[in-house]
Amino acid sequence: MSRTSRALGVAALALAAGLAGAAMAQSGSLVFTSWGGTTQDAQKKSWAVPFTKETGITVKQDGPTDYGKLKAMVESGNVSWDVVDVEADFAAAAAKDGLIEPIDFSIVKRDEIDPRFVTDHAVGSFYYSFVLGFNPASLKGKAPKSWADAFDIKAFPGKRTFYKWSAPGVLEIALLADGVPADKLYPLDLDRAFKKLDSIKKDIVWWGTGAQSQQLLASGEAPIGQFWNGRLFALEQSGEKVGISWEQNLTAADMLVVPKGAKNKEAAMKFIAEATSPEGQASFATESGYAPVNVKSAALMPKDVAANLPDKHTASQINLDMGYWAAHRDEIGKRWYAWQAE
Amino acid sequence: MTVTDVPIAAPSPVLAAARRRGRGFAPVLPALALVVVVFVIPVLALLLRSVLEPEPGLQNYAAFFASTTYLKVLGNTFLVAGTVTVATVLLGFPVAWFLAIAPAFWSRLLFAIVILSMWTNLLARTYAWMVLLQRTGIINRTLMNLGLISEPLPLINNLAGVTIGMTYIMLPFMILPLHATIRSIDPAIFQAASLCGASRFQAFTRVMLPLTASGIAAGALMVFVMSLGYFITPALLGGTSNMMLAELIAQLVQSLLDWGLAGAAALVLLVITLAIYMIQLRFFGFGQARS
Repeated sequence: MSRTSRALGVAALALAAGLAGAAMAQSGSLVFTSWGGTTQDAQKKSWAVPFTKETGITVKQDGPTDYGKLKAMVESGNVSWDVVDVEADFAAAAAKDGLIEPIDFSIVKRDEIDPRFVTDHAVGSFYYSFVLGFNPASLKGKAPKSWADAFDIKAFPGKRTFYKWSAPGVLEIALLADGVPADKLYPLDLDRAFKKLDSIKKDIVWWGTGAQSQQLLASGEAPIGQFWNGRLFALEQSGEKVGISWEQNLTAADMLVVPKGAKNKEAAMKFIAEATSPEGQASFATESGYAPVNVKSAALMPKDVAANLPDKHTASQINLDMGYWAAHRDEIGKRWYAWQAE
Repeated sequence: MTVTDVPIAAPSPVLAAARRRGRGFAPVLPALALVVVVFVIPVLALLLRSVLEPEPGLQNYAAFFASTTYLKVLGNTFLVAGTVTVATVLLGFPVAWFLAIAPAFWSRLLFAIVILSMWTNLLARTYAWMVLLQRTGIINRTLMNLGLISEPLPLINNLAGVTIGMTYIMLPFMILPLHATIRSIDPAIFQAASLCGASRFQAFTRVMLPLTASGIAAGALMVFVMSLGYFITPALLGGTSNMMLAELIAQLVQSLLDWGLAGAAALVLLVITLAIYMIQLRFFGFGQARS
């Protein structure tokens, strides 16, 4: 009796291990991880589908991106993600910590990529702007224009929504709203930024995911806030009435990285080459409303779509400084979460 | 052997013999192995990090207890768990009582509702509360349309939201053990109490409560301990200024990648949970089984 059950247990374990092994050893496939929602849908349609058609390599979608999981995979040596869409400040920090592979530029064409959005370890996925979005119906026709308006509860009553996680964006917005000139933003005056945020803290509803930001705005739960421009684009495409102000829009890129020890490294590099190709970037930009990182893409896009992308709103545009953030990510993060929990 | 020597609930001789020989353990092994591999080892690994990262020592624990923020989060975790426990006792007791005494049809119907709500996806139930509680949600809109309030009530992204959502989700864990206890009470006892001249209030406080204490304790322990480590509902219905410990741990793991401190926070939570469990065992044994 006991021998039988022990044998059964061992057999079950062996079977499980065997299955897992078989799945991993499978050639001709890779796992792509991104943020889910309308963004990943567009990435799948613009990159994964044509890539599979050309190379025969299947692309499995996973998500959402989770930096803790990525670190755990690399440390345990059991890496199940091959290409991951991450924020640029994380990409810089991860390269420093040895969590990601260097990009193989014999496969990826570096000279076609906007130099702002390519490093030795990461290639831009797309570039976005944080813009001021509002719900015109909830504000009864009043249209906020500047970040200062977003902090003016009297003139524009209602909840505000901002990005929950410690990342480039909200602190810069607070400083701009407080009157700091764009060219004097860095190094960030954290005391001043938190003080400004304190003035509306009780009216802030944090969004943790793009989908949540869309829901908060469309329902009128938070009629004003900071949004990824592509998420507002998607809301408009679905027929919602959305107001956008591009004044002092803040740009940054998402980056594609390959975790250290990824099982399908070569396929991963080929996938990144496809994703950042002129066609891949043009197609994704048309789908998502985010801007292409490939300098040759704009020519391939419909004129009306190209006119509404972040790269057409450069007049008062501000580049978020990823170098600064990569250097200060940990200390700002600690302070950010402590402040949020106060 | 005289009659008085026989224990009241004599264990079956077969079971007793099996227990003496240590038999019956083998079938447990697969489950045990699973728990060790997928739970015990990873947890130990995380806890080890708390004393090894970034360097060997207790600096993570020092940092945890030196931070007013983390202590506030810890205090808030207890506040929420305590409030939810009290609320589930107050709401669950009448339900458990009704389940025990109601006619079969009603009792079965209510039971089905309790169980079905448990079986529905947790995320779906939490999102449903979001829809109900938000400023533009059904509750606020109804109250405003009725003219009872002029401004939406703040029911979400705060303590109220977490308490409401978690009380609802934890209710079955209070009702089920309590129901088992109440059902095992002989109803004639209450007739006896009233025949002896006890008022309804006295019958409740001096007969009912002592008899159901073990059930209340079992349910309360379950609810309190589960609430201490709860993540999804507080994350969706709460605000950042009343964060619970599980959210803090998630933040440290996912965003700050500070696993040493996350391990320390996890161990603090684990030690407190075990301590509460020991106290409960000391005073109430295993609930039903030993009463």
